[in-house]
Amino acid sequence: MSDELKNILSHLNKDVEQEKLLEYLNKQLSPGEQHELEASMQDDPFASDALDGLSQMKEPVHISSLVQQLNKDLTKQLDKKKKRKRRQIIETPWFFYSIIIILALAILGYIVIKKFLAV
Amino acid sequence: MSYSRWNHITDNEILQRYYSDEDNEWLGILLQRYTILLLGVCMKYLKNEDDARDAVQQVFLKVINDLPKYKVEYFKSWLYMVAKNHCLMKLRGNGKKTTELNEQIFTKAENNEEIGSAVEKEVSLSNMEQALAQLNNEQKLCVTLFYLQKQSYQQIAGSTGFSTMQVKSHIQNGKRNLKILMQRMQPNE
Repeated sequence: MSDELKNILSHLNKDVEQEKLLEYLNKQLSPGEQHELEASMQDDPFASDALDGLSQMKEPVHISSLVQQLNKDLTKQLDKKKKRKRRQIIETPWFFYSIIIILALAILGYIVIKKFLAV
Repeated sequence: MSYSRWNHITDNEILQRYYSDEDNEWLGILLQRYTILLLGVCMKYLKNEDDARDAVQQVFLKVINDLPKYKVEYFKSWLYMVAKNHCLMKLRGNGKKTTELNEQIFTKAENNEEIGSAVEKEVSLSNMEQALAQLNNEQKLCVTLFYLQKQSYQQIAGSTGFSTMQVKSHIQNGKRNLKILMQRMQPNE
């Protein structure tokens, strides 16, 4: 009893695993496990707010696929950013090469025209 | 999930690796740990599944752009604040920038912990019982059933007739009031 009283103010701030949370939302946990998860989320405002929101979802079964879709989009977004960065590095020398080639052609053209006019 | 092989590494270590090599893959690993929580927070504030999903994507983008600019120490609290700010801004319906909260969050989090552990250390059980008796009936009932009888929200809701959301808020408010009552009971130094 006394240990349980102490629990009211203790910080059971263990991070809750996503899978466990999904099982909770889909009502697949025993009452004891439900209590354990609820208690560990009590002192974590992020998790506690999230639990409020997720409990309002009309179809908790879809949460898992929604999360997977969001993760997939995130990975794509990060890949795009990476490629863009890499492309920038690769493309930069070509930009300078083309300027050099255009300048060389212009000088060459000038010389040819000057020679042609001189004759 | 795809990044489960990194499960044993803490947020802080991943964050340090990200800051040292700026490889976005680390950011992907970190953010995916919180996708479900972000979805929940956005759902709580925006009350609409489509809006919540869009908001999570926008929060991801914001983090990708903003994280390199700040020296974030506690990723989880920072992310929570970014998500909450984003939703509140969306609710207000303007693009006005809210004040920079980054530094405040950390000091606030630390202070809370300090108060928590101080209370925890000096917790006197007889005080606790007295304090518990001073709570209003709903809070006393929910706190007792939850902490002393280890019931779940659903079980408490079933036996009391409250909704699970009401049960949760009675427990949270009861707990907050208990802390205040306990602090008052402690002799002044």
